[in-house]
Amino acid sequence: MSEAQFYTHTIRAGSIKENDEQRTRSSFITDNLWRVTGIGLVVVLWQIGVMTDWINPFLMGSPVGIAGEAWRLIQSGQLLNDTIATVYATVVGFLLGSILGSISGLLLWFSRTTARIIDPFMVALNGLPKIALAPMIIIWFGSGMLSKIALAFVATFVVALLSAYQGTHQIDRNLINLMRSMGASRREVFTKVVAPASLPWIISAFRLNIGFALIAEIGGEFISSDRGLGRMIFVAGNLFNLNVVWVGVITLMIVAIVLYVIVSQVEKRLLPWEQGQR
Amino acid sequence: MNSSIAVPISPNAKLNDQEMLRQSVISLSGVKKAFTSPSGESIPVIEDITLDIKQEEFISIVGPSGCGKSTMFNIIASLLEPSDGSITLRGRDPACGARIGYMLQRDLLFPWRTIIDNVCLGLEIQGVAKAKRYAMAREQLARYGLADFADQYPSTLSGGMRQRVALIRTLITDPDLILLDEPFSALDYQTRLVLEEEIVSILKEHHKTVVLITHDIGEAIAMSDRVAVMTQRPTSVKKIYDVGLSRELGSCLKARSDTRYQRYFDSIWDDLDIQISGAEQ
Repeated sequence: MSEAQFYTHTIRAGSIKENDEQRTRSSFITDNLWRVTGIGLVVVLWQIGVMTDWINPFLMGSPVGIAGEAWRLIQSGQLLNDTIATVYATVVGFLLGSILGSISGLLLWFSRTTARIIDPFMVALNGLPKIALAPMIIIWFGSGMLSKIALAFVATFVVALLSAYQGTHQIDRNLINLMRSMGASRREVFTKVVAPASLPWIISAFRLNIGFALIAEIGGEFISSDRGLGRMIFVAGNLFNLNVVWVGVITLMIVAIVLYVIVSQVEKRLLPWEQGQR
Repeated sequence: MNSSIAVPISPNAKLNDQEMLRQSVISLSGVKKAFTSPSGESIPVIEDITLDIKQEEFISIVGPSGCGKSTMFNIIASLLEPSDGSITLRGRDPACGARIGYMLQRDLLFPWRTIIDNVCLGLEIQGVAKAKRYAMAREQLARYGLADFADQYPSTLSGGMRQRVALIRTLITDPDLILLDEPFSALDYQTRLVLEEEIVSILKEHHKTVVLITHDIGEAIAMSDRVAVMTQRPTSVKKIYDVGLSRELGSCLKARSDTRYQRYFDSIWDDLDIQISGAEQ
């Protein structure tokens, strides 16, 4: 290949890359444009429906009403207080459950016997809808934050444990043999192979656990609580104040998205070798 | 790719008597291995292997597929105990056993470690201080043209480059015996020829004793001093050829174009007694 050919070749490769970047950036903009248009259309039609008496605002709420309630709840500080309470209990329970669960799952690698013995219990606990434990947990821990943390913990612990343990089973036997041939101790095999190799499994359990922790926490608030978004939704629902229900639901969606983005960012930090492979 | 890595022709091209008297690094005598099937019956995989591998020798073990090569590999690598017979390992310090490093078909680089941290793995386990092991690794990576990749993850490297990294990782702990288990079979033919040449020259430069386990007859003849041909399972050593073409001619590629290459090939092929129409996988 002559030098000139090589030169044009590199230029072309460079411009292709640029085109790709431009394309993703422009598609990002148009995608969002469609999304905003879609939501806007629904909101406008909903409001028109309410104003022309096609939609009963008592049963469905109305965009203007929702906005009004949202403004009132933001101004009074109640929305912020409830959001903080819910996020606090969810995040603490989620972190404790996911981290301790993952560590326990990883440690099971050391003892196959223990793993074998507890396996049916874990499967049973995993299948159990954790919210069924709520009445008991509320009796034990009261109707405050502690019972919500405990619920989020219970909902996330088993998922994290099973996922981490499964991760330790997917490890290439050859990697462990290689470590052994180099004279590694069991502890070194664990820290240098088992734990890092299971990390993708652990992270994927974290993703799932955001949802599970929120379900358990909100369920707990429904049953007995003194604050939180769940309580706000539950009380407003009983009073047929659909606009406030909507404010709570929308806030919860935002919370879920934010938590999900945080976990994704943590994943990027923890799994740098998996970046650019997708 | 280039011929600058050609091996210098050794003054004693053929293994002479004096060389035969050299200390053996590993000797297997009457090694047997049988596995127990789930139904409780004993399935013999290795019938009898008696083999003496000398210092700085490059020996290949070829056999029909399914003959128990990987069992043999695991036994030599001391990952598996033989059912019977004995294995004697002698390192440079004859009192202690030889240290064995190995390299497989798959490079087994840890995807979560950068290239330099992969290379350092063995040193890390041996407890070499970080600054020292990094310096050693950088020197070796630079030597094999991989310095620019030190801080990248393995997924960004080509198959040939990754195998080179795996070789450096094996060599850096300075093992007495290097065990290669079909290290090239995942690579394309050209890369394979280049790496064959490179690895033979690197290993000779480091005065390493090498056991290559392969099903590729050509590879075995091109690289080895001796080729041990195995029988079908339960396996034993059928015949040993004193090849030494690459040592004599100074290059695997030259070995492949030598007239004796084809004769060895035909002869080993006959020994393997592979039934084309048979139940080979």
